[in-house]
Amino acid sequence: MSVGAVDITYRGIFQKNLAGVITKELVKAARHEDKIGGTVQRYGDSPERNGIPAKQFSVIADDADSLRVEMTKYEPSNVVVVAVMDDTLTKGVESWAWYGVRPINLNLAPGGTLLVISRRSAEELLELIPRREYAWNLAILPGEPSFGGLWVYNDDGTDYRTMGAVSRVAGDLVSLDSLLAQAASGQDGELRAEQLREGHDSVRAYPVDAGVGAEDTYEPVEMPGWTQMREGLVIPAVPVGETNPLFKKYTTRTARPLVKFDACVKCQICYTVCPDECFIPTPEGHWDIRYESCCGCGICAQSCPVTGCIEMVDEAVFDSNEPLHGVYENNREEYEELRQDKLAKAGGPIPHYGIF
Amino acid sequence: MTATEQATSGTPAPAGHEAGHEEIITGCDAVAQALRLLDVDVLAGYPIRPYDSVMSAVSKMIANGQMDAEFIVAESEHSQFEIGKHASLVGARAFIGSAGVGWMYGMEALVVTASLRLPVIALVGNRALDDPGAFGVEHNDALMVRDTGWLLYWVESAQEALDTTLLAYRVAEDKRVMLPCALSMDGAFLTHSQHIVRVPDEERVSRFVPPYDLGDRRFHPDNPVSIAPQFNEDWVMEARRQSDAAMRRARTVIGEATADFQRLFGREPEDPFVDAYRMEDAEYALIGMGTVGMVGKVAVDRMRAAGKKVGFVRVKWFRPFPRPELRALLRNVKGVGIVDRDYSFGSSSHAGVLYTEVTAALYPEPRRPVVAPFIAGLGGREVSVENMLEMEDSVERVTAAGELDPTCQWIGVRGPATDPRYEQGENPRTAEGGAR
Amino acid sequence: MAAPELTVPDLEINRRITILPLQEYYTSGHRTCQGCESALVMRYMAKVAGPRTLVTGTTGCMYVANTSYNSTPWSLPWAHTQLGSSGSSAIGTSAALKALMRKGKIPDERINVIAFCSDGGGGDMGLATLSAAMQDTRYNLLILLYDNESYANTDIQASGMTPWGAVTAFTPSGKRQRITHHRWKKNVPALLMAGHPTGRYFANTSSGFGMDLMEKVRTALDMDGPTFVQTHDPCPKGWDYDPRMSHELAVMAVECGITVLWDCLEGELRYQGISRQQVEGKLRRRPVADYLRRQGRFAHFADEDIDFFQSRIDEMWEDWILPGVLRVNQTPFGPGGSRG
Ligand SMILES: Cc1ncc(C[n+]2csc(CCOP(=O)(O)OP(=O)(O)O)c2C)c(N)n1
Ligand code: SF4
Ligand code: SF4
Ligand code: SF4
Ligand SMILES: [Mg+2]
Repeated sequence: MSVGAVDITYRGIFQKNLAGVITKELVKAARHEDKIGGTVQRYGDSPERNGIPAKQFSVIADDADSLRVEMTKYEPSNVVVVAVMDDTLTKGVESWAWYGVRPINLNLAPGGTLLVISRRSAEELLELIPRREYAWNLAILPGEPSFGGLWVYNDDGTDYRTMGAVSRVAGDLVSLDSLLAQAASGQDGELRAEQLREGHDSVRAYPVDAGVGAEDTYEPVEMPGWTQMREGLVIPAVPVGETNPLFKKYTTRTARPLVKFDACVKCQICYTVCPDECFIPTPEGHWDIRYESCCGCGICAQSCPVTGCIEMVDEAVFDSNEPLHGVYENNREEYEELRQDKLAKAGGPIPHYGIF
Repeated sequence: MTATEQATSGTPAPAGHEAGHEEIITGCDAVAQALRLLDVDVLAGYPIRPYDSVMSAVSKMIANGQMDAEFIVAESEHSQFEIGKHASLVGARAFIGSAGVGWMYGMEALVVTASLRLPVIALVGNRALDDPGAFGVEHNDALMVRDTGWLLYWVESAQEALDTTLLAYRVAEDKRVMLPCALSMDGAFLTHSQHIVRVPDEERVSRFVPPYDLGDRRFHPDNPVSIAPQFNEDWVMEARRQSDAAMRRARTVIGEATADFQRLFGREPEDPFVDAYRMEDAEYALIGMGTVGMVGKVAVDRMRAAGKKVGFVRVKWFRPFPRPELRALLRNVKGVGIVDRDYSFGSSSHAGVLYTEVTAALYPEPRRPVVAPFIAGLGGREVSVENMLEMEDSVERVTAAGELDPTCQWIGVRGPATDPRYEQGENPRTAEGGAR
Repeated sequence: MAAPELTVPDLEINRRITILPLQEYYTSGHRTCQGCESALVMRYMAKVAGPRTLVTGTTGCMYVANTSYNSTPWSLPWAHTQLGSSGSSAIGTSAALKALMRKGKIPDERINVIAFCSDGGGGDMGLATLSAAMQDTRYNLLILLYDNESYANTDIQASGMTPWGAVTAFTPSGKRQRITHHRWKKNVPALLMAGHPTGRYFANTSSGFGMDLMEKVRTALDMDGPTFVQTHDPCPKGWDYDPRMSHELAVMAVECGITVLWDCLEGELRYQGISRQQVEGKLRRRPVADYLRRQGRFAHFADEDIDFFQSRIDEMWEDWILPGVLRVNQTPFGPGGSRG
């Protein structure tokens, strides 16, 4: 290795500080091995928005020239580890308009490791993660996603556990010993060391052969040349009744609202308060949800006046963005079964905050 | 009867050459006349000497019913230019103007007007930048937008101001161009003195400048578009390349429009880009912009009378820069003097902007003349015929001496050309007890 | 966490929901944060304005996160305007329509002109242009200021409308200084109303009160001349709370008396909903701590900071003749105070 990068893919803002700590500390640890490095905040993510997939990188190199080349890129190459801070991101990331939903392992180097913080099994995750034309490794660090805020950091050890796991799957980039040495030089050294070891020891890696995994439907975009663009910085408006064709936003979602239509009192609150214009009226007066547009903010669930009517359910258990009211219209029992099935798979709904 | 009232009650245009009627008006009033003839829809003004009398003239015409337009007294130049920009976006023919620090204050709005490709026309009454709060002419104000996609023109006379206003709208609104245009006019010498001006008739003007049509960019409910969405590195270069193409095409359009103008208004054909005076067999030449052209030509006449082969070139369009014309004109010239009424501190040769541009234009020539930089007339200081003669003399001297990189000379500045003590950071004023 | 009761919360919105126009003119596919209430304001604004509307918007989240990466969520014609140019863009647009219609260059019809801005671009940088726009009675225009209480798009810096004491990227809380944002929030609708007697309509509303907001926007658009509507919009990123709480925080700000629902139609001042009940003494204000303690931007507040905040809110309700609107507590005709 002359240069390698660790890609931290995370939820914008909620995990920005987390990604910042990890990328920086990895580089500091690599200094204990006489390596050089730097970090890259992918500029295109800024300004980061809550929940929208974002990336930061550590770049670690043996020599200055290799590092220099990488430090003038938005996304460094030779990504030997993609560390995914929330397992719902494995369904794909749409960080911007135009680029579509990109596979989580799009830029993973052959033989590299996709490290996911998750409670799910490798089989379950491989139903979500697209196949590659080369062999790679899937590593799972058991745990829940750690979400903080812009000002309040969630100091729950996820940072150091992740670093410990990175040293296990990419020990020649940065070793556990270096991480321990670096941790010892800072505050709470012992606690950090414990977390590093915990991450190092608890991570499980599975080799994934070429061609194994979900179908890869991603098609790289073709951007128009300057002679094909309209002049004067003009683009067409969205035809009335349609939505932005170039950005969908659903990969922002960690959980989706699931409606118990039988309980609905047709008050329209969900429709009224949704900032993403997701609700579609049904002839019966229910409100169907266009999941393609839903970012999973949870406002509808929090604001629905009927307990248990809209519940937020882990996004990883769903495989389609199709609105669900059709299923309900066809057969109410079948819909209820589907709902219960999803809730069971997800281990229940995400708790409601209660009414303030 | 005031000049402006006369304008509308003017005699019907004679059919043939030199259509219209004659008036004695300032450069600003001449522009105002053009705006009336062009049926401009929205104008936004903010006071600053010396451009502001164009707005006074226009508001008077509106008040008198001679012109039908919305005139907005903005609360700053930034707003003034934004108002012009947004009016233009709706499809209104818009006009703005400013001078000196006012032009600077609205810089952000000027930049976006160009990147949005809106054919707003501005009058810049060239004025020194603060501090000090000087009123006199310097060209630095208008030059500040030279890299942003503004078409730039320097006029020499009130007649040219009127004519060029018509030309500016015609060129700027051409589908192939769609760029804003700033017309520069030397403060005092054109803004505050009256010239004999021939004012054409409306009918001919409307034949020359067709109605403004923004096409599918028009900001109107019938044309649902999003204008200037945010984007980054994967689109910006393409957008810039389009502006570049528009600026390149402007040359062709200016050529066509000027030829049309000459035909329609019965003027002698002349080069659209430069005003070349007695350059046919010239061995030496002076180059300048704006009203120095007037003295420049007189100086040339005197030197020609004395048997010297000297010419003068006035750069009219500064953007697009007339590189082909200058190369052709200066190909056989031995020495050239550039009269910059501006400064570019720390630039090549510590000269001005015109110098930098002309020398760059000449670079591909296999045989380049000696180019001597001069800075003159700053802050509105007069540039006299004698100054011109002095500069020409200097050009001849350095050419004869074979100096390839002549020192920039400040013409008309009080005090020595240089002072070694001053260069070293001493202040001779204190050393000598100083004047005050 | 206690199990929620099965009740319909006593929210303004529930009592007043009528049939909304279903059509969206600002639609899905905007790159705003999860739970961005300013996006909801855009939605309400476009919905109630309808298709014969031109919208300009200043730089900020509602520019960068909406028409993001060369795409757009707008069905209405929309154009960017510079950060401090909401007022001037509205004037330019409206003046052009007027000139072109008068001269017969385009068909004569009613076209709404809306320019939106936020607290930074409108309340700070563009205040002079708002002032100019409110003066020019020739032009029909609405300025909508969505107040997310920071320069949000640049990653949250303090503006003149950021609440006292809040942490922002430029006003952090440090070991030496707990509070570094010392300015009390300015009241832009009141300031515009007080100083521009020719403005036709001024209103303050909140993203948590959709019907109130839409009624106010509609009222503004139906007036001839300049109008101004401000909305108070929780910003989960900058205020640092779980996006799910966005709607409730907006409501809570009104319940605490921090945001006041009022408008002034041609000189007639009116309070609406909860704020009206509070003015009339029919509803107690909630303690501001309920609101402040739910947001990370106030996480550093000591009890004394909360007390100070509460005292300022109390003062504006108890001592001002126009509670929550204008700080006048004494007149030549005797002392004021809304309730004696
Ligand atoms: C003249 C100028 N200065 C600074 C900026 C950088 N800038 C871009 S967005 C923004 C924040 C604007 O804040 P606000 O108006 O409150 O809108 P918000 O981001 O909160 O939606 C700033 C400062 C700019 N675009 N233009
Ligand atoms: S908020 Fe709940 S009860 Fe009301 S319409 Fe929506 S789903 Fe039905
Ligand atoms: S979670 Fe609910 S309110 Fe939020 S975007 Fe999805 S549907 Fe809309
Ligand atoms: S930062 Fe605030 S205003 Fe901006 S998009 Fe996010 S929630 Fe909306
Ligand atoms: Mg703001």
